[in-house]
Amino acid sequence: MSAPAGPSMISLEQLTKSYPGQVEAAVQSLDLEVPEGEIVVLVGPSGCGKTTTMKMINRIIEPTSGVIRLQGEDVTHSPADQLRRRMGYVIQQIGLFPHLTIEDNVAVVPRLLKWSGDRTRARVDELLDLVGMDPSVYRSRYPKELSGGQRQRIGVARALAADPPVMLMDEPFGAVDPIAREKLQNEFLRLQEELRKTIVFVTHDIDEAIKMGDRIAVLREHSVVAQYDTPERILSDPADAFVAEFIGAGASLKRLGLARVRDYPYADWPVAAISDGPQAALAALDRSDETSLLLLDDQRRPLRWVQRQDLQAAGASLDRAGMAVRAMVEPTATLAGALDAMVSSRTGGVVVVDGRGGFLGTVDMGVIMKAAEDMRAAAQDSARSGGPLMRAASGT
Amino acid sequence: MDFLNYLQRDSDRLLELSLQHLSVVLVALAAGTAIAVVLGIVVARRPRLRSVAIGSTGLVLTVPSFAMYALLVPLLGLGRTSVIVALVLYSLLPIVRNTVTGLLGVDPAVVESAKGVGMGPMRRLLRIELPLAWPVVLAGIRVSAVLLVGIAALGAIVRGPGLGELLFAGLRTIGSPNAVNLALAGTLLVVVIAVVLDVCFLALRRVTTSKGLR
Ligand SMILES: Nc1ncnc2c1ncn2[C@@H]1O[C@H](COP(=O)(O)OP(=O)(O)OP(=O)(O)O)[C@@H](O)[C@H]1O
Ligand SMILES: [Mg+2]
Repeated sequence: MSAPAGPSMISLEQLTKSYPGQVEAAVQSLDLEVPEGEIVVLVGPSGCGKTTTMKMINRIIEPTSGVIRLQGEDVTHSPADQLRRRMGYVIQQIGLFPHLTIEDNVAVVPRLLKWSGDRTRARVDELLDLVGMDPSVYRSRYPKELSGGQRQRIGVARALAADPPVMLMDEPFGAVDPIAREKLQNEFLRLQEELRKTIVFVTHDIDEAIKMGDRIAVLREHSVVAQYDTPERILSDPADAFVAEFIGAGASLKRLGLARVRDYPYADWPVAAISDGPQAALAALDRSDETSLLLLDDQRRPLRWVQRQDLQAAGASLDRAGMAVRAMVEPTATLAGALDAMVSSRTGGVVVVDGRGGFLGTVDMGVIMKAAEDMRAAAQDSARSGGPLMRAASGT
Repeated sequence: MDFLNYLQRDSDRLLELSLQHLSVVLVALAAGTAIAVVLGIVVARRPRLRSVAIGSTGLVLTVPSFAMYALLVPLLGLGRTSVIVALVLYSLLPIVRNTVTGLLGVDPAVVESAKGVGMGPMRRLLRIELPLAWPVVLAGIRVSAVLLVGIAALGAIVRGPGLGELLFAGLRTIGSPNAVNLALAGTLLVVVIAVVLDVCFLALRRVTTSKGLR
């Protein structure tokens, strides 16, 4: 079974939207539970109804039928403006108010909620700091004086202003270049570690979905749920051909992007301190089955790979023997990152070091192959036992 | 120079007529702006009403002043009131049209995020849509202002106040040496008022438009 879902923050029950003049519904009888404190990503091909679904949650689009619950309370017909102040809303076009300063943009909801001036000002500064923008520099600027990425940050800050429990984000990082997007994604994930908001996140990019989502709902036409599951399980065990095709090639590689180096046992590797000299190093190499050995400095920081003949030729000092260590990763790196380091340094393994650079172990190709195999097997097991969130293509 | 002497001799009266002229224009413009902006807001997102409003205010502009006064004077009598009502009617089209253009030109994403943060329709209009449409609305008011300065001169045919009096006096006494002076002074002052108003509106635009929109 996948990680059990917490209590639902948002429940959509038989939610349907038919636009006037259209025969088929854009969203047809959708059931979806969004657990508290998680990022749920709606992903699917263009026109499948992701945006329509999301905008029904804060009733920018009024549903034709069905029920929306927020923390159990039926909000399908409650006053929309009050509802929206409890939900942050970030859209791809950002929609900052161009005639207002950054401060006034961020302060919109606190002022609607009649916070005091002092409290609002303090909150604005806090939020600008939070999204990595110096308040003293940016507070009194106008949106047109910011870069695209900065505007997107302000969009997020504005949505967070009154600390709403829920955030709705429609392709929030869609309008910036890939490098800036990567940066915004990472920042946002770091923020979310602290904030633990309940987030509905729309994207058409499966890679973004895998990166951002605690859970992913893969949608097909009319917002029909093809699979609702954790990224790991969607990658390892797609519910049907539609999901498999949507994930595309390279599912195993994507899965390695989800696994952290620290979650797998490091390979044991012979090491020796450089100051102990060649004899001690040779002895250590003899005790192992490997053909090379890792030399460490006095703080146990990896220096060089050496082979038997390097040690024998070294004479009294090891100062120049062997080949410098190029591929090093920290335990928080992903297996995909480790693999990348391995390939780009053209070695069969990477050295894992702690924050201060001290040796922890190594990860080699064998570890990665085994991890990929284990992940697939585990996901298939759990798929067979059937998690509570398996709701593949229900109803149609 | 005859003309300069005339200006000097009659300067008090010329100033008074100019101020009357300006006052008629400003009063009509204020009333016209209020009506036209509200009208523009009401019709902006209703395509049918929108064409009716723009069509009919456009039609008004094609009615010659003579015809307009022939219709108004029986109801309102000779003098200032008829002139002001006529000017209000003439001022509508540019302001209605620009209000509509301005409001429709507001980025839908901005309106949507105003909804998204929980602003109601009225607040959205006053705090977001109108401020964003304002430069365009103001441009319409400015066009109307200049338009009215010229049309107001014709108010003299129903004994309205203002510089039209000079022009009509000139016409009546055509051939006399003073006629040219009257016509010249009237024309010159109308142009001066129009230019001054225009410049004022440029300044107003600077002062009232957010730095974020410039
Ligand atoms: N205002 C509207 N009026 C009529 N039809 C609409 C409207 N908005 C969306 N649709 C239709 O509803 C369907 C779903 O649209 P929606 O915008 O929700 O898709 P999406 O999944 O967000 O697509 P994308 O990835 O391209 O943003 C589409 O077929 C679209 O044409
Ligand atoms: Mg969309």
